[in-house]
Amino acid sequence: MRLPGTFLVVVLALGCAAAQAFEVSVPRYVEETATSGIEHSYTGEWEFMVGGGVATFDCDGDRMPDMLLSGGTSAAKFYRNTSTAGGALAFVAETSGLELDMVSGAYPLDVDSDGATDLVLLRVGENVVMRGLGGCRFERANEAIGFDGGDAWSTALAATWERGAQFPTIAIGNYIDRTQDAFPWGSCTDNWLHRPVAQEHRFAPPLPLKPSFCALSMLFTDWNRSGTPSLRVSNDREYYKGGQEQLWRVEAGQPPSLYGPADGWKPLKIWGMGIASGDLDGDGYPEYFLTSMADNKLQTLAAKPEAGAPKASFADVAFARGVTAHRPYTGGEVKPSTAWHAQFEDVNNDGLADLFVAKGNVSDMPDFAMKDPNNLLLQKPDGTFEEAGEAAGVASFETGRGAALADFNLDGRVDLVVVNRNGKAQIWRNDDAGPGNWIGFEVRQPAPNVDAVGAWVEVRCGGHTTRREVTVGGGHAGGQHGWIHFGLGAEPKAEVRVLWPDGSQGDWQPVEAGRFYTLIRGEQPRGWKPYRKG
Amino acid sequence: MRLVRRLMIAVAVVLCGVPLAFAGQAASDQARSRDALIIWHRLVLELVRHTATYSPPVASRAFAYLGVTAFEALATGSDGLHSLAGQLNGLTPVPARETGQAYDSAVVVQAAMAHAAANLFGNTGPTGQRALKAMARKAGTEAATGVPEDVVRRSEDHGRAVAEHILAWAATDGGAVIENMGFPLEYKLTDGPAHWVPTNLIRQQQVPLLPDWGRTRSFAMPDGAACGLPPPPAYSEAANSQFYREALEVRDTVNNLTDEQRAIARFWSDDPMLSPTPPGHWISIAIDALEKEDADLPTSAETLARLGVTLADAFIGCWHSKFEHDLVRPLTYIRRVIDPKWEAILNTPPFPEYPSGHSTQSGAAATVLTAIFGPSYSFQDGTHEADGLPVRSYPSFWAAAEEAGISRLYGGIHFRSAIERGLDQGRCIGAYANALRTRN
Repeated sequence: MRLPGTFLVVVLALGCAAAQAFEVSVPRYVEETATSGIEHSYTGEWEFMVGGGVATFDCDGDRMPDMLLSGGTSAAKFYRNTSTAGGALAFVAETSGLELDMVSGAYPLDVDSDGATDLVLLRVGENVVMRGLGGCRFERANEAIGFDGGDAWSTALAATWERGAQFPTIAIGNYIDRTQDAFPWGSCTDNWLHRPVAQEHRFAPPLPLKPSFCALSMLFTDWNRSGTPSLRVSNDREYYKGGQEQLWRVEAGQPPSLYGPADGWKPLKIWGMGIASGDLDGDGYPEYFLTSMADNKLQTLAAKPEAGAPKASFADVAFARGVTAHRPYTGGEVKPSTAWHAQFEDVNNDGLADLFVAKGNVSDMPDFAMKDPNNLLLQKPDGTFEEAGEAAGVASFETGRGAALADFNLDGRVDLVVVNRNGKAQIWRNDDAGPGNWIGFEVRQPAPNVDAVGAWVEVRCGGHTTRREVTVGGGHAGGQHGWIHFGLGAEPKAEVRVLWPDGSQGDWQPVEAGRFYTLIRGEQPRGWKPYRKG
Repeated sequence: MRLVRRLMIAVAVVLCGVPLAFAGQAASDQARSRDALIIWHRLVLELVRHTATYSPPVASRAFAYLGVTAFEALATGSDGLHSLAGQLNGLTPVPARETGQAYDSAVVVQAAMAHAAANLFGNTGPTGQRALKAMARKAGTEAATGVPEDVVRRSEDHGRAVAEHILAWAATDGGAVIENMGFPLEYKLTDGPAHWVPTNLIRQQQVPLLPDWGRTRSFAMPDGAACGLPPPPAYSEAANSQFYREALEVRDTVNNLTDEQRAIARFWSDDPMLSPTPPGHWISIAIDALEKEDADLPTSAETLARLGVTLADAFIGCWHSKFEHDLVRPLTYIRRVIDPKWEAILNTPPFPEYPSGHSTQSGAAATVLTAIFGPSYSFQDGTHEADGLPVRSYPSFWAAAEEAGISRLYGGIHFRSAIERGLDQGRCIGAYANALRTRN
C-alpha cells in the first residue's frame, strides 16, 4: 500500500537522479480553487473547442508566477500572485491590459529583451503581442514591432532566437479556416513564421509554412543537439488531408525546410494536440510526449550513433514506459481519453521527471470519455511511469484543456493550474511532505535573448546529470516563464552549468538544495530567497 | 476533380440556393432526387473518416443502411422499383405513401437520408454535427424549392418514416453499438504460433477489432458463414512449406518494391480515420461512375443499395472467416522466423490475417458494379486526390479489385492466399446482392 507523501522505500543514498535512491512517491495536491481567488472559465463553442491555454510569468518583480487565463468568448483574465512563500495559493484579478476577448492561448516571451516579460496572445482573429511595461501592465505592440497578427484561428506558438538575431523568430500555428464552418475538413490554414528583419528590432512580413496541417502545438527544440533548434509541429488529423506530424529545419538565413524520408523522418498521423519535452533517459537528447485521442505517444530517437548526428527517426515508447494514458483510470468510463496540455515536471522531487496530462472531451463526442480525469504519471526508477492522478488528488472530471505546472508559492514543490472548457479553472497546491530536495534556477544573459531561450541547464549530483532545455512553446496553447525546477532526491547539494544558446559552456558551479539561484552568464550563481513570507 | 472539392462545391451550390442538378436549368424530379441521394453519400464519405467508431466494417454497415433507406424511400413512389423488403434479412415493408396524395420524391429522399445519416452518425464530433445540420437545412430548402408546402410536409414526413423503419431494423442487427472504437475490453488470444497476436504498440489495439462482427446479421446472404473459405495453408516454419514460401514472397516483395508497387500499396491503404475506408473507396468509385454516366434515378438508387449491401455482407463474411481461422500476420511471422528487423510499409491492421478484408470487399464490389456497368467499364479513380495521391486508371472494376487485393501483399500485411481467396469470397458474396430483385 502506498500512502501519499510517504516514500515506500526510502533509501537515502546517492545522487539526485534517484534511480538508485527512491521508489516512487505520490505527492499530495490540495485543491485551493475556492480560496485562491481564481474564478474564471474558458467559454465558447465550436471555435473554442480547442485552446484554453494559460501563461505563467512574473510581471511584478516578486518572482512568483502570475498568470493569464485565456477566456475564449469571455475576456482573458489576469491574476497577480499574492501568495506567500510556502503558504496557501492566493491571486488577485487585476486589469493589466491583457483582457482581450477571443483569446485561445498565451505564451510569455521577452520579445524586446528589456527584462520585462511580454506576452503573445493567440486569438480567433488577430494575434496580439502585448509588451510588458512593468508592474503587470501591458500594451499592444503589433504596430511598433511590425508584427502582423493576421486573422486566423490560431492555436499554437513556438519561439527561438536564430543565430545573430536581435529579435526572436516566432512560429504561429493556425487551425481550420473558420469561414468553412459547415465543411471545414481539408481547410487547414497556413502556419506563419515571423522572422525578424536582419539586425533590427522588428519583424518582417510572416512567411507561410507550407504545407500546414492544423497545428495544435509547436516547439522549437534542439532534438539532435546540433545547436540549432528545429520546429516540431503536432497536427490534428481530424482536419488535414494528406498531412502528418512535422519537423521543420529552421536555420538562420535559410528558408525553412521539412525533414523527410531521406532524413529518416517517418510519417505519423495523430490527433496531435500538445507537446511536452524532456530528457527522460539522461542521454542528452529530449524525448517528446505527444497528446492525442486514445493512445498518446512518447517518442525517443530510434538510433543514437556513437559518432555523427542522429537521424530524425523516432520510436514510440509510450506503451513500454506506461504513458499511453489512453483511457480513464477512474470514474467508471471505458471509452478512450482526449488529451491536451502535457508537461514534464518533477512533482515529487525524486530527481525523475513526471508527466501531467490535461484531459477532456472535445465537445459532446460520445465515442470518447466524458468523465476523463487528468493524468499525473509518476516516473519510477526503472523509467516506466505509474498513474497517480487520483492518489495525488488531481483527478478532475472537468473538461480540461490548457494547464501549467509551476511553483506558485515558491516552496520548492510544483503546483498546478488547469483551464477547463465551459467550466471553472482549477488550481492545486502541492503539499507534498516527502523528503525530496529541490533547486530552482532562472537563466539570464545580455540582450538579445535575455532569458537564454535555447540554453540547456544541467544539474549534476551523485554521479548523474539531469538537464532541461529552455524553450518557448509546446504544451497546449500556453507556456511558462520562470523558475526552472529540478528535484534532487536526497542530495543536499549539486553542481549546475549552462550550455548557452550560442554553444558556449558555462563552468560547473556548486549550489545547495532548497534554494533559488539566478544563473547569469559569466557570473557565479546568485542565491535568492522569496521575500514575501507567511 | 477532388472528392473533397466536389463535395465542397456541391455544398456551396446548396448553400447558395442554386439547383444542384443543372445550374440555370429547371431540374427534373428524377435529377433532383438523384442529386440528393449522391450528395448525402458524399457527406457520409467524409463523416466516416471523422467518426472514431467507423472502422471499415462499421462503415460498410452505414453505407448499406443508407443505400437501402434511399432505395426504399423511392420505391414507395415508383412503379418501376421493387422493394427489398422480404429479400434482405429481417427487412419488413416500409410505410407506404398515402393513396391519392401527392409526394415529391426529391423531398422524400432528402428527408430520409438526412434522418438516417443524423442517426447513424449521431456519435460524430461537433464538426460533423455542424455539417449534418447545415446539409439537412440547406439541402432540405433546395429540395423543397417550388414544391407546394403541403406536399413538402407530407413528403418529409414520409421520408422520415421510411428512415425510422430502416433504423429500427438496423438496431436489431447486432452491430449498432460500438464500444471503445470496436476493441473489446477483454479478449483471450488463441494460443500457438499460427494465431494472431498484436502487431503494434498501441495500447488500445492489443486485442483485435470487432471479433464478433462475423455474427452480426447479414443483408443479402444468409449469414456470415454463407461464403466460407477453406483453411489457409497449414502453418509451418519449414523452409519448404507453402506457408514459409508465402511469407518469403511478402518479405522479398516488400524489400524490393518498385515505385509502382509502392504507389499501389499506398493508394489502396484506405486507413480508417485517414480516408473514407475501403468500403468508402468503392462507394466513391460508384458515385463517380453514376455521375459520369449521368445515370437515371432507378439505376443510381439500386447501385448504391446493392453496393452498400454487398460491402456490408463482405465484411460480415470476411470477419467470420478471420476469427474462424485466426491466422498470424506476416509481420509477426517474418520477424519471428525469417528476419527480426523486417518492416512492412503499411500499418498492419489489428485483427487476424485470413482472408484479406480489402480483397473480399473489393471482389464483392467488383461483382456488383460489373453487373451494372459491364465487364469492360474503364474508369478513373480519384478518391484520394485531396490527400495528395494521384488518380489511377482501370480498364474494369475487376482490374481495380485485383489491384486492391495485391496491394496488401505489396504493403506487407497479407499473404497471397488471403488475397486470392478473399477475392473468391467476394465473388460469392457479391452474387447474393446481384440476385436481389430491384425492378418490377
